[in-house]
Amino acid sequence: MTTQPKKARVSTTVNGQPVDVLVAPYQSLLEMLREVLGLTGTKEGCNDGNCGACTVSLDGRIVDSCLVLGAEADGKRVDTIEGMARPEGLHPLQQAFLEEAALQCGICTPGFLVAARALLEREPHPSEERIRLWLAGNLCRCTGYDKIVGAVRKAAALDGAGNGRAAG
Amino acid sequence: MTSPTVIHSVGLPAPRADAIGKVTGGATYTADLRLPGTVWGKVLRSPYPHARIAGIDTSAARQVPGVHAVLTGDDLPPNTRFGRRIVDVPVLAQGIVRFIGEPVAAVAADDEDIAQRALDLIEVEYEELPAIFDALEAIEPGATLLHPDVMNYTGLPAPLERPSNVVTRTVWGTGDVDQGFRQAEWTFDYTFTIPTVHQAYIEPHSCLVRIDEAGRVQVWASNKAPYNLRQQVAACIGLPLERIRINPVTIGGDFGGKGSPMFIPLAYFLAKATARTVRIVLAYAEELTSANPRHPCVAQVRVGANRDGTIVAYQARLVFNSGAYAGFKPAGFLPGAQHGGGAYHVPHCKVEALGVYTNRVPCGHMRGPGEPQSIFAFESAVDRVARDLGLPPLEVRRKNLLRDGETNSLGHRYQDIRAEDTLNAALEAAGWDAPKGKNVGRGVAICERAPGGGETHANVTLHADGSVVLHTSIFEQGSGSYTTLQQVAAEELGLPHDAVRVEVWDTDAVPFDTGVGGSRVTRVATQAGAGAAQQARDLLLQRAAQTLGWPREQLTLAGTRIRRNDTGETHSWADVIAKTGSPVVGGASIKDMGPAPVTGFTAQVAEVEVDPETGAVKLRRIASAHDVGRVVNPMGIRGQIYGGIAQGVGYGMMEELRMDDGRVTTASFADYKIPTMADMPEVRIVLLESESGVGPYHVKGIGENPNAPTAAAIANAVEDAVGVRIDDLPITAEKVYRALRAKRQ
Repeated sequence: MTTQPKKARVSTTVNGQPVDVLVAPYQSLLEMLREVLGLTGTKEGCNDGNCGACTVSLDGRIVDSCLVLGAEADGKRVDTIEGMARPEGLHPLQQAFLEEAALQCGICTPGFLVAARALLEREPHPSEERIRLWLAGNLCRCTGYDKIVGAVRKAAALDGAGNGRAAG
Repeated sequence: MTSPTVIHSVGLPAPRADAIGKVTGGATYTADLRLPGTVWGKVLRSPYPHARIAGIDTSAARQVPGVHAVLTGDDLPPNTRFGRRIVDVPVLAQGIVRFIGEPVAAVAADDEDIAQRALDLIEVEYEELPAIFDALEAIEPGATLLHPDVMNYTGLPAPLERPSNVVTRTVWGTGDVDQGFRQAEWTFDYTFTIPTVHQAYIEPHSCLVRIDEAGRVQVWASNKAPYNLRQQVAACIGLPLERIRINPVTIGGDFGGKGSPMFIPLAYFLAKATARTVRIVLAYAEELTSANPRHPCVAQVRVGANRDGTIVAYQARLVFNSGAYAGFKPAGFLPGAQHGGGAYHVPHCKVEALGVYTNRVPCGHMRGPGEPQSIFAFESAVDRVARDLGLPPLEVRRKNLLRDGETNSLGHRYQDIRAEDTLNAALEAAGWDAPKGKNVGRGVAICERAPGGGETHANVTLHADGSVVLHTSIFEQGSGSYTTLQQVAAEELGLPHDAVRVEVWDTDAVPFDTGVGGSRVTRVATQAGAGAAQQARDLLLQRAAQTLGWPREQLTLAGTRIRRNDTGETHSWADVIAKTGSPVVGGASIKDMGPAPVTGFTAQVAEVEVDPETGAVKLRRIASAHDVGRVVNPMGIRGQIYGGIAQGVGYGMMEELRMDDGRVTTASFADYKIPTMADMPEVRIVLLESESGVGPYHVKGIGENPNAPTAAAIANAVEDAVGVRIDDLPITAEKVYRALRAKRQ
């Protein structure tokens, strides 16, 4: 009852860096990122897969990291908000969110950015309707969403917005 | 050298001061803080709505490896309670629990999972007591008294004549309603019911508490009123103010909900018991079941009107279900409740608000405390009266709308009344006169709110490297205050807004700050930011005159240069500071507490299309016009408006914190639905600027207004579309379908 479960060794790649960590078998990918690796850019909102604040990319697919076990990242590539900016500056989506004030309290912003990047990697020029559908899994209580839609459209209008580091 | 170009900042779109951290994941929220040796605090909560605690056995929990402390109410001093005004919220239940979710015991352990395992081992023996969930039942004579000692509670806004579940009764108005109803040709009675909703910020309540080497209590918390928090925590834990410091941290949304001590006193007691730093972060289910949601309300309304649509008298009895405790309200009651008919001239008006104890989750503030409930009732009633009199609702609205020189439904007289202009702007943006298709309807609602008063402090420091730092005592929660401060300071100095870096003081720095709320921050912060920058500018020019030997009266500041006007010479101000050694510091302390001479109107038009077969309401558009004085940041104000409307849409159509015998049954975002990006209609915003605001930049408030009239506008639009009236929020397809069926029969 009170014995600690044996931890699993997880070999993964986080934002392009190979990482070996020990993770309890019940720990989520979100806990692995935040509590084990100290990568707190990925936010915990609801912790039950409904708010999207913890969105990360796992082998190029967006997931709610609270619903994925850390052990499942073994052998996979994880991309988080911390890896989104490029050495030469912000990712075009980050720049557009900043310029369009597409954030207020900011707690949902990392999740929106990671999810929006995944959209633009697949569909570089999505319609407004498509953006609203794709990002409907990310909740924001501050902005009313219009400025987020505007920022994604702005980034999409720039060449190469979908070709961030994590695309490769 | 040519004279430097004058740079303006106020009135221009300014990206947020804190945006870089927020788009890169670098912004630090409370749950992101890591201090060595931190332990997790977790709370065991009552499964009963009303019960006596017969015993608690914590022995097994204490033996779990990794557990540092287990606390129950018996481990705290007797009567350990907190409150923002009325001090009635137990830190841990002592003898009695009064709602499902009330904290009963707490564990501090090495990690969250160990803490949870220990909680599962705590045995509590309860003896159930009769519970009351319905506020109307709780106010009946002879109802079980939920707080027999209420007469002795600290902080009651008015003394009680006898022990009662009605902990507060507040009355506002003007004239004499009895006389008004006698004068009126018709009287109409309506009842509106409004559910509990949650603020639904995405960051759950969180705190980190550390007792430092000097014995001071260091607090980091998702709380937007840190100076009040310090007072409330000090009173609760029995320490002097100076032993407590609240440290600034990024706050992930508030909407009125993040202003209470919540579990911060508990974290202190755990820190004391463990000699470790304690972190508590609510699970979101705990947020939805045990934090401080917006009050539900039953509004019993009587309107006296003449055949031509003149409203002679309005009386509302607003019964607010406070839940188990009243300590989450900074005034003890809900001041916004008075504003239901504030946008109208009503000669006889009486608004009576009751705060009632029940055995439900205790309620607190959310974005215009009492306003959305009160405005839903008034603005629904206006349309109902119009239809009952056979008049167009817009005509009745216009007939009674407040005009310059008139007093409103509260007897207040404001300057520069812009109610009708605001209404007209919303109608125009909505295409009010455009033809409507079948089953399409449009509805209007209008409200007002003056910017609140408060105290705040700011410093502006000019450094020898040319950098400008603004210090503020405001802990903003996402609403954009830091950017506003940047802009006004930059404007006074003639610099671009991003040349000013904002830093936030902890609570050691200044005596007090009222905190974020009451649509007050733009009013007080623009005065503080501008005042501090003006003083810094004056001190700099004095110093430049001495250092350069230039005549003081010829000197002006323009961006990075000081200009001597008689010769046209300029000199770098950074160099002046470098030559003289110490930075230049200007400061401003603002206490602007009184009521504002102006108010701000908001008018909204909702357009809906209703499916007559299913009752499904498609919200096609919200047009929203705002009387805002001068706009400091067009991006910021639009953000506040969009976000407010989204919350209004949720209030009108989606959100209800459902309860079954006091148990919240919508305990996740899967069940408690807030609007997503796909749910939002087209939003058209009109800003009516004028010089009629307060302070050096003629501003008004915007935080609360935009979410207040939306639900009524939607209800009015639904009736316009298909002729059924929904008086019970939220307006769901099911309710519309039932109403349509009832109408056909």
